[in-house]
Amino acid sequence: MKVLLAEDENDLREVVQDYLEFQGYLVDAVPNGAAAVEKLARDAYDAVVMDIMMPVMDGIAAMRKIRETGNTVPAIFLTAKAEVSDRVEGLDAGADDYLTKPFAMEELNARLRALYRRKRDYKTRTFTFGNLELDTESSELRAHNSIALSQKEVRLLCCLLSNTDKDMTVSELLSEVWTGEDASADIVWMYISFLNAKLQSVKANAAIQISDASGYRITEVKDV
Amino acid sequence: MSIYGKYYNAMTGIMNDLAKTIEANSRKHEEETGEKLFEHLCCRIKSPESMLEKLEKKGLEATTYHALRSVTDAIGLRIVCLFIDDIYENIALIKSIPGCTVVREKDYIQNAKPNGYRSYHMVLDRITDAPDVDGNTPGHFFIEVQLRTIAMDTWAALEHELKYKRNIKNQDLIVQELHRCANELAACDVSMQTLRKIIRGQSGGVYEGFTCGR
Repeated sequence: MKVLLAEDENDLREVVQDYLEFQGYLVDAVPNGAAAVEKLARDAYDAVVMDIMMPVMDGIAAMRKIRETGNTVPAIFLTAKAEVSDRVEGLDAGADDYLTKPFAMEELNARLRALYRRKRDYKTRTFTFGNLELDTESSELRAHNSIALSQKEVRLLCCLLSNTDKDMTVSELLSEVWTGEDASADIVWMYISFLNAKLQSVKANAAIQISDASGYRITEVKDV
Repeated sequence: MSIYGKYYNAMTGIMNDLAKTIEANSRKHEEETGEKLFEHLCCRIKSPESMLEKLEKKGLEATTYHALRSVTDAIGLRIVCLFIDDIYENIALIKSIPGCTVVREKDYIQNAKPNGYRSYHMVLDRITDAPDVDGNTPGHFFIEVQLRTIAMDTWAALEHELKYKRNIKNQDLIVQELHRCANELAACDVSMQTLRKIIRGQSGGVYEGFTCGR
């Protein structure tokens, strides 16, 4: 796991770098936000640990720049000030978590592990149900044949496969899959139609059914 | 004289005759419903060179008998459709043609090949007035019919090109990406099919889209 550390205090930077390297991370350390933005434009990292108060470019401005480029790397802020507004601004700028100085090294390590877990285990996993397999990394649906899914179809199917024991209402699906978008119930129905056609075309023994409570649920079907 | 010997003329006649019948069926369908059953149809007699190559690959002697009996695609017909459902409509119509029996069929659309190939294959036994290689009159000739969508046709064309190229760089990567393309094209075919159903369902079965040639 490769981590980018941006911290202007030399002593702290060295201590954190040594600790993380001892824990098995690969660490690149820079002294300000501008250098961090530059590094991220050139290299790929699994996580960023960044101080807020830094010369040249502070952590919040750097975070905004990083997110503007479309980079979604998990990021943790280190904040000296225990002020709520600082933490709010940092999180809104695109950080995923924060630690207030002084902090325990073990806690930084645990938070990095947690971020990494979220990125790997939850985002890119394979769902199985009956004879079907959904590979979220390659957006591929496999059963007897395989077929490609669009991003929305992947998210919709993930949602249904994570909730096979209950009916998902249209509004639940809208907020999970079409988050923040101006979407109507019709689009849910249309994507359910797409998914059902694709399930059929790969000969999956599963189909999405509309239930009495006007919600959707994926169920196993025999003899396809 | 080629590998097909004195049967070449009869083969050409049978091929053109079947193509005409299928085209007539499609015209009739178009008059009734306003839509074409397929985008295009093409046919060919397998070139004597390819036939010899195929016989050799199968370890068979280069005889007219093997070319017409042990191999079933000396006469080939391909029907390229706009939508997946149209393929199955064409199959039903072909099965209803008098003097044609299905000897073998394989649905590579519902059972895609591991490399991603999708098409529907049928081997027909066509009865004709001309004598066949067994000395029977009326004679029996095999015709292989392939049905696919435009997307499947494009994919197959590229895969065919790859198959006959030697020493290609990044062969494994190309094969892998070609498989991904097959899955994406299949996804489009299925989504377009679904949308057509939705559109038709909403407009009460009346298709108001563009029709070519009018």
